[in-house]
Amino acid sequence: MDHISVALDHAQSLGAEYADIRIQKTRRETIYLVDLSLKNTSMNVEHGYGIRVMKNGAWGFAHSNIFTNDEVKKTVESAIKVADLSAKIKKGKGLTLAPERGYIDAYSTKIQIDPFTVPLSEKVDLMLEVNKTMLNYAKIKRAFFMLDLYNDDKFFASTLGSRIHSNIYYVYPMITATAVKEKDSQSRSHDDGGYAAGWEHILKMNLIDKASQIAEEAIMKLEADEPGEIRRRDLILNPNHLGLTMHESVGHPTELDRVLGWEADMAGVSFATPEKLKKYRYGSEIVNFIGDNTLSFGLATAGYDDDGVPGQKWYIIKDGILNEYGSTRDSRPFLDDGMSRGCSRATNYYDFPINRIPNLYLEPGKKKLSPQELISDTEDGIYIEGRGSFSIDQHRVNFQFGGDMFWEIKNGKKVRPLKDVLYKSNNPEFWNSCDAICDERYWQDFGVTNCGKGQPMQTARMTHGASTARFKNIRVGGSK
Amino acid sequence: MIIEFQKAAKYIEKNCSADDYSFFIYRSDEQQTRYAQNMITQNMSGVKYAVRLSVAYGNKTGMARINSLKEEDLKKMIETAQNIAKLNKPDPEYVPSAKKTKIPKTDNVSENTSKATMKDMVSVVKAVVDNAEDKKAFISGLVTKKINDFYMKTKNGFEGFDSSSEFGNSMTMADNKNKETKVERSVKDIKDYSVKKEIELLNSQFDALTTPKKIEAGKYNVILRPQAVLNFFSFLLYFFDRKTADYGISAMAGQIGKNMFGKNFTLLTKLDEKGLTAGPFSGDGVAAKNIEWIKNGVLNALTTDRSYAAKIKADPNFISNIIIRGGKATEEEMMKKVKNGLIINNFWYIRTVSNKKNEITGLTRDGISYFENGKVKHSVNNLRFNQIIHEATKNILLLGKEENMSSNVKVPTMLIKDFNFADTTTF
Ligand SMILES: [Zn+2]
Repeated sequence: MDHISVALDHAQSLGAEYADIRIQKTRRETIYLVDLSLKNTSMNVEHGYGIRVMKNGAWGFAHSNIFTNDEVKKTVESAIKVADLSAKIKKGKGLTLAPERGYIDAYSTKIQIDPFTVPLSEKVDLMLEVNKTMLNYAKIKRAFFMLDLYNDDKFFASTLGSRIHSNIYYVYPMITATAVKEKDSQSRSHDDGGYAAGWEHILKMNLIDKASQIAEEAIMKLEADEPGEIRRRDLILNPNHLGLTMHESVGHPTELDRVLGWEADMAGVSFATPEKLKKYRYGSEIVNFIGDNTLSFGLATAGYDDDGVPGQKWYIIKDGILNEYGSTRDSRPFLDDGMSRGCSRATNYYDFPINRIPNLYLEPGKKKLSPQELISDTEDGIYIEGRGSFSIDQHRVNFQFGGDMFWEIKNGKKVRPLKDVLYKSNNPEFWNSCDAICDERYWQDFGVTNCGKGQPMQTARMTHGASTARFKNIRVGGSK
Repeated sequence: MIIEFQKAAKYIEKNCSADDYSFFIYRSDEQQTRYAQNMITQNMSGVKYAVRLSVAYGNKTGMARINSLKEEDLKKMIETAQNIAKLNKPDPEYVPSAKKTKIPKTDNVSENTSKATMKDMVSVVKAVVDNAEDKKAFISGLVTKKINDFYMKTKNGFEGFDSSSEFGNSMTMADNKNKETKVERSVKDIKDYSVKKEIELLNSQFDALTTPKKIEAGKYNVILRPQAVLNFFSFLLYFFDRKTADYGISAMAGQIGKNMFGKNFTLLTKLDEKGLTAGPFSGDGVAAKNIEWIKNGVLNALTTDRSYAAKIKADPNFISNIIIRGGKATEEEMMKKVKNGLIINNFWYIRTVSNKKNEITGLTRDGISYFENGKVKHSVNNLRFNQIIHEATKNILLLGKEENMSSNVKVPTMLIKDFNFADTTTF
C-alpha cells in the first residue's frame, strides 16, 4: 500500500476524526554575493512529510523524513499520542473544523524557464556585473546581491478524500548599495520581493540599470538633509513602500487566529475584533483591500491551502469598512459557521500549518490619476519609495515606518532628497487619511518571503500590491 | 558521538573529491506544545536532520544542504556541491577550511531534559492554565524541549562535536481588559525550571498592573527588567562585526579601544560561567574562548570570521554565550535613586532606525508602571522608544543582580536615566 493510504487508514483506525498528510520536497538555491565575493552558493533540499490528526477536539502533529510504511505508521502513532495528550487541556468541545469537501486536483506556478536549469555561470555572471556596476561608484563601499530561487513540490491528502498536487516556484533577486562617508552610511535597495514565476522574470528586470540607479540614490542620501522636527504633512507612498505598510497594519490584524488570541504570546493579538465586522471604518471610502489566493504570480497562491481549502478572492476591507478576516478550518468555527477562506499554510514539511495573510492588495483608484499628477496636487509633503525600518505594536494599532528613498514635495514639486525620514501613525487614522489612489496603470506587486509568525517561528510568503497613494496630514520627521 | 553521524561522515570523506571541504551534521529532536486562551492549539514532535557540505576547487566554492543521512541522498549532496564549485566563479575572499583546533570542554546537555516527555510538557501547560483560570485570565504560550547534536569536520583536520539540551516555557497572561504580561525562560536542565516560581513571577507582574493612565512621549528614567534588557541589547549584536565597522558602515567604526559605552556596561563571553552553557565552536570552525567584548565601557573586540581575520591578520572569534554584568541593586533601591520613572517588563518589535548612529526603535510590552518617591503608583500606556544604544549605556545608574534568561544568556535589571521615548500609544 502507498504511504498515503497507510497514513490515513492508520490514523482513522486509531480514532482520528480527521487526518491529513503533506509530503513536501522543498528545493532552494541561494547565492549571496558580497562585493565580489561569493559568500554562499548553495542548493538546499528538504524532503519529508507531516501528519496531522484531529481527535477529541485536539490536534496532534508529527513529522519524519523516512519514507517507509513502518515509519509512516510510527509517525501517525506519535501524532495520535500528541493529540490524546492535547485533548486533556481544552475548553468545551475543543477545536472543530469548518465544513469542507475533498478535491482531486493539481496546481503549478506558470513558468517559462525553470530557474534550476539555468546554468550557474549565467546567474553568477549577472550578479557580478550588477555588483561591479555599484562598486564603480567610489562612495559605494558595499554591494550586496542575494538571489533566492525556490520550488515546493507538495502532495496533500486528507480523510475528506482530497488528493492535491502542487508545484510552486518563485524567484527573488535583491540588491543593495551602501554608501559611506566619515559621519554617515546610507543604503538603497532594489527589492520587489519574490515573484511566483521562472527565470524569465529576472531577465525582464534590467538589474544593471537598477544597480546604477540605487548606487546613485544611496550617494544622494548620504548628502541629503534630515527632515527636521516631526510635524503633520502629506505622504505620497509608492507601491514598493505600501507593501510592507499594508502587511503590518491590515494583513496581520485581519488574521482570524490573531483576532482569537492564538498568537497572544508572540506575534500578538488584533484590535480588529469580531464586533467590528461590517461596521468599523478601517479606512476612507476609497480604501478596498482584497484577499486573493488566486493571483497567478502571488506567493500565497498554491491552488489550495494546507487544509485542502481552495484558493479564494474576497474583500477584507470594502469601501473602507472591515469586511471579513482571513481564516482557516480550525479558526473559522470560533467566529461563525462559515467556511474557511483558505489561509492555512505551513512553511516546511515539519511545520504545523497556521493562519496566514493571503495575497492582499489595495485596489487601484477608479479615477484616472498618475503619481506625477498626485505630486503636482500636493503642497507640503514627502514622497517615499521602498521599505525601511518598521515597527508596530502587538495589537497592530500604533506604528512607525521608515522607507528607502525620500523626496520633499513643495508646491507640487519634488524639491530635494531627504534621509532618515520616519512617520508615525495608527489604525484607524492612517487608512482613513488616504484621499487619493492612482489608477490601475500604476499598480505594482510586492512579494514578502519572510513573514515571521508562530511558535516555533515559521517564515511564510504572500504578495501585496498597490498603486501610489496619498495620505493627508500624517506626523512625519526625524527620529527624535 | 552518534553512530549514524560517524557513518555519514565516513561516507562524505570517502566520496568527496574536492580540493577542500567542510561539513556539518545536525540532529534536532524537538517537542513543542503550544497553548492559547487556556487550551492546547498545536502540539508537535519529530526529529529533524541537516547535513551541509561546503567544498572548494582552488578558490571556487559550492555548498549543498540536505535533511537526510541516507547514502543516496549524501551522494547527491556531494555531487551537487562539487558541481556548483566546478561551475562557479572564484571567490577572492576564500580561505581554506579550518585546521585541527583544540576545542574547549563544555557541558551543554542534561540527562534530565533528554528524559523529559510530552507528558511533562503538558503538565506545565496544565499548571499555568489552572493558575490563569483562578485569576479569571487567559494564558497563551509555548513549552519546548530540544535535544541538539552537532558534528563538524573539515579536510584540514578540524573536528568538533557538541550536544545541547534546552527546556523552556514562554507564557503571556491577559484579561479581557488591559492587563497583559509575559514571563519566558529556558534552561539546560529541566530540574532548574520551576513552574511554581515562574507562575509566582507571572502573577506578581500581572497583579501589579492597574488601568493604565495616559502618559506622553519624553525622556524618562527607566528600570529595565531582564527581558527588556535582553531584547534591547540583542540589537547591539546585530551590528557587532569587525568588517562592517572597518568599512565605516556601523557605529563601531574606529571605536575599538575607545570608551564608546558607559563605564557601567560590560558585555562578555565566559565559557565556565556558572549556570550557563557555551557553544564550544562556531560553524566557521573557530574554537570558543573567553572574551570581554566591552569592559567598563571600552569596546575591546568585535566578532570576526576566519575570512576577514585572515585579511586583517587578527584572531577569529565568535559569541559563544552572552553575559551582561550586573550589580547588587534591588528594584527598591533603584526606585529610590531617582525621583520618578517607569518600570518596563519587556520591549517589542525592535528595529534598526540608523546603522551608523546605532539607533533603534521599539515599543514597550507586557506591562509598564510609573513610580515616584520610591513607590509604584500605577500602570501607564505603552510607549515607543527611539534610542541610540551606546548612549543608553552611558546613562546606566544602577545594576541589579544577573539573571539567567536562557541556557546561554545572563543579564541584570538596569536603572537608566533619560531613556528616549519618541511617541505615546493608544493603549
Ligand atoms: Zn508578517
